[in-house]
Amino acid sequence: MMSTTGKVLATALLAVAAFSAKTLASVDDAQAFALQAAEPYVKEGFQVREDYWGGDLGAGEKKAVRQQLFKGNEYWFWMGTEVERAKISVHIYDSDGKLVEQPDSWQKGHFAAAHVVPNATGSYFIIVAVEESPEERTHWALVYGFR
Amino acid sequence: MISVTKITSWAGFVVAAVALSAGAAQAPQHIDVKQFSKKVEDVVVPLPNEVFGALGKLGPVNWKEFVRTEKGANFTERPRIALLLGTVIADGFIAVQAEDAPAVKDIGQRVLALAKGIGVGNSITPHAKAITEAADKRQWDNVRQELDRTQNSVQQAMNEVQDQKLSQLVSLGGWLRGTQVLTSVVSAHFTAQGAELLHQPDLLEYFGQKLNSMPEYRMPVIESIKGALTEVRPLIATGGKPISAEAVKKINLITTRLDGEIVTRQ
Repeated sequence: MMSTTGKVLATALLAVAAFSAKTLASVDDAQAFALQAAEPYVKEGFQVREDYWGGDLGAGEKKAVRQQLFKGNEYWFWMGTEVERAKISVHIYDSDGKLVEQPDSWQKGHFAAAHVVPNATGSYFIIVAVEESPEERTHWALVYGFR
Repeated sequence: MISVTKITSWAGFVVAAVALSAGAAQAPQHIDVKQFSKKVEDVVVPLPNEVFGALGKLGPVNWKEFVRTEKGANFTERPRIALLLGTVIADGFIAVQAEDAPAVKDIGQRVLALAKGIGVGNSITPHAKAITEAADKRQWDNVRQELDRTQNSVQQAMNEVQDQKLSQLVSLGGWLRGTQVLTSVVSAHFTAQGAELLHQPDLLEYFGQKLNSMPEYRMPVIESIKGALTEVRPLIATGGKPISAEAVKKINLITTRLDGEIVTRQ
């Protein structure tokens, strides 16, 4: 049987461990989930870029990233977070603010993906959002692939 | 960096999740992009092979015409090495398009030497080895992936030692070489669709801003690039009109001149 001192020590160690795990979670973890979402598409011939965007957002916050897309290519953008109870989304707009993603774009919990076949070469806006999350700040990462 | 190739266990789950999903959440059909103007992240610079891929879909391209493996000048100035490194990585993508294994291997070694010259050789030694192995097996998609990883590793290593500006010069060198080849191909057989691939105004602005934030790099080649970006901007900012054959030729002359300045000692 554990003594009172032992219980206190164990509780403290657990608290420290939980705190460390939370603080050590990073955009790299989010990127791992974004890449998991990308994995099935690699088999379909999409080349996934090593470069990526990432950061943290509060629930209800959005961020825009700009990307040069080329007509003739086909792109998927995959977003992920390590916060499993979070709900995230990614959508693609052209430079005039018109939604241009394909209907097979999807969103499922802490994964989301948007598919675009640009009808013009130019700059596009990729809008990422953390719609719901139990965390105050939620790491996110966005990777993309093309073929 | 976590590689895609290391991830397998969750792939099935993701596919299942997609199948069960009701599809994309309702998103507004229109947004005011200006509301995001202060929240826009930096631009991710496309790899040369993104534009080469789109170009190749418009018709056959004789990529062998653009392969080059000359070692060129050796520099000691880090900004010059960074620019040249980006250019040489772009040459790697061209050699892959041409499926020229000996050229790919030469370029892999050149990239390694340049990375060592800038103090980040250790980060790309495994990639250089992987490039050689993949080229020997003519696994071109793997070579492309390793070239991307090479550039990313170089830039991450630079960023880790607070050399973000050098990292940006690597991207710039690659973009300039890619644009030079794109304009050469489109000039030779002009099509409006080919010229449209030059419509990259935000990238021009991005590079211009980055160069203006590098006052410490006062060297002729940097000044030349700054001036050239200003020359190119009106040629591609056509207000929705097609980019002309004449504009493509001018951009080709400009980028060819810059390429000469980047690869040779003046």
